[in-house]
Parts: sequence; structure tokens; C-alpha cells
Amino acid sequence: MLNVQKFAAGLAPLLVIALAATLNAQSKPGARIPRLADGKPDFTGMWDNPKEPGARGAATVFDKAKMAPFVPGGEALFYEPRTGDPRHDEPRAFCMPSGFPSAFLGPYPVQLIQTPQHLVMSTEFMNVTRIIPLDGRPHKTDIEPTFYGEPIGRWEGDTLVIEARNYKRWSLDDWYYQNPKEYRMHSDAFHTIERLRRIDANTIAYEFTVDDPKIFTRPWSVQWEMKRHPEWDTTGLYEMVCNENNRCEGGKCREGK
Amino acid sequence: MRTRLMALTLGLLAGTSPLLLAHHSFSAEYDANQPVKVTGVVTKVEWQNPHIWFFVDVKDDQGKVTNWGFSAGPPGVLQRRGISRNAMKTGDVIVVEGFRARDGSNNASGGKVTFPDGRSVFTASNEDKAPK
Repeated sequence: MLNVQKFAAGLAPLLVIALAATLNAQSKPGARIPRLADGKPDFTGMWDNPKEPGARGAATVFDKAKMAPFVPGGEALFYEPRTGDPRHDEPRAFCMPSGFPSAFLGPYPVQLIQTPQHLVMSTEFMNVTRIIPLDGRPHKTDIEPTFYGEPIGRWEGDTLVIEARNYKRWSLDDWYYQNPKEYRMHSDAFHTIERLRRIDANTIAYEFTVDDPKIFTRPWSVQWEMKRHPEWDTTGLYEMVCNENNRCEGGKCREGK
Repeated sequence: MRTRLMALTLGLLAGTSPLLLAHHSFSAEYDANQPVKVTGVVTKVEWQNPHIWFFVDVKDDQGKVTNWGFSAGPPGVLQRRGISRNAMKTGDVIVVEGFRARDGSNNASGGKVTFPDGRSVFTASNEDKAPK
């Protein structure tokens, strides 16, 4: 019995350390984060785009090493050859949408506005806005798929979980801007899971999970961060209207002084 | 044709700025293997989305004037960088460095603008290649 007590006494500090480590992984001890009146973490503010912690550049392409293996036929769905037709190969040059998540991954600010019912996530790039209900309602089953999908949020403690479905097949990321031969596409079974935790006053831990059973054998995730930029609060997001003066649309420049 | 005020330099691009998110691919519209450097007089500034454009009259040895168009960053990006629409005015004499449009027209991306007083303004879009 004495041995058991000694063992337990010896184990206690280890348990404390383990618990502290667990808490640290969830939020920094003593970190003050803004909260709404309902007690939920408040993500409202101007933020830099999600990217690898410490990264200088934007996370415009996913790291292939982090992706799950392909299902049979998945690779052919994932990589789509470019054809030489600019409307196919460069749809954004004609002001077509980037889709989600691509539109939110460029070097442009993201503004978050939160109420108890919704999180509004807006990026300066093309002024794309997602209005995300936070009541965990079921996804619709009878709507047309879209470029930006149907995002729905729910709370798991202090973590906001956003799941989106009902995407149409579209480019996954900016790979086609880096490789002249191919796109990387998601399928119409694309399902995304975002997990946002405000780990201190200036940081959101942003885990992004890709679930695409027509392409990958299992879901896979990347761990990003968003950094707060209060110096952008006064100006907010600037307008970006693609069709206003798209002079070199599709690679053919319009002349004129 | 040799020109005095306009120097077009063909060669491999030294800079390797990463291509980031744009509403277009830089490589689809501009040729990174065709750097261009001109000196001329600003004739017009279009401070509009998705990229600002400015136009420059460039005179060659024979006195022939060619008007060049240059594309730069989105107005919002430039404004956040501290570059306002007043940074460049009609009549300003500037040196512009960038890359020619793929369609062979007198258009280019204008990544760097230098004023007579030596002030240099980085006008490239986040996603565009910029001359070193």
C-alpha cells in the first residue's frame, strides 16, 4: 500500500505537467482573449490571411507531403491538364471566382465580424464574403453546389468548428499558377473543416482539414495561423472590383490611353 | 532600332519573386523573359481595380512618341503600402521597370517606378514579379 501511495505521489507532478501541457496546447495560460457577452471567444477584427506559423509568404498552395494518398481514380480527378484555352486555364483572368479556400489564402487582409448567430468572414481579395451561421444546423441536401460551398459553424468549447459542403468542382489552390501544365482540383464531394481557436490576443490557430473521398483515402489537415492587425482597423477592407478595369483580360491587352 | 529613352532588354529574369494569389496569373499576361525599362512622361493614371494602370509617352531617337501602358498593384494593396493615388501625376517624368505583355502590345507590368529626385516606388502587385 505504501508503495502505491509513493507511486501516486510521484505520479502527481507528472500529471500536473501533462495537464499544463494540454492546457497550453489549447490556449496560452493567462492569455486574455476578447469574448462576446455570451462568453464565446470573439474573433472580430482585421487579420492576416491564414498561413504556416512564421511564414512570410501566403499559403497559396497546399503542401503535397501533407496530403493523404489517392483513392483509385483520385489522381486523375485531382490533376487536370491545362488545355491552352484561357477561359479554362485562367478563369480568374476573366474575373471568375477563386472559390474556397483559395480566395482566402492570398496576401490580402481578412475581416472577421462575429455576433452570437453568425461569423462574417470577408477577404479584400475580390471582396468575397462568407456569412457563417453558428447554430450547427444541418447542411442542405437540395441546393446547387457553389464555388464557396455552404459553411456552418458550431462551438466545441472555445473552438469554433466550421464545416462546409455543397461545393462545385473547382480549383483547390493556386497550383495552376505555379505549374504551367496542370490544375489541382477538388471534387464535388469536397468537404472542409476549419477549427479556429484564439490562442492569444493576436493569434488564431487555424486548422484546415480537406476531406474529399472521391480523391483522397482519408481527410488530411494543415495547421495554420492568422495574425491580428489592429493597424488595419481604421481603413478596413478596400474595395476590389475585378471587372472595373481588367485591361489584359485573358492575356489580350486592350489598347487606349 | 536603337532608342535613346527607351531601352528594352531581353534576357532571363534574375528575380524569383513567388507567384501569389492574383485575379490572374502573371505568367499568362506578362513575359518574365522580356524585361522592359522606359523613361517618359506620365499621360494618364487609372487608379482602378483590379490593378492600377498608368500610361507613359516615350520618345525614341527619331522623336517618335510611343505611349506605353503599365499595370501595377490593386489600389487597396498600394494604399495599405502607403502609396496613394497622388503618388504619380500626369506630367511626371518617371523611369518604369517591368515586363512586357505577352500579346506584343505596348503594355507591361510596371513593378518599379523611379522619380527624378531618386524616389523609387514599388508598384508591383503582391503577386507579380518585380524587377530587382
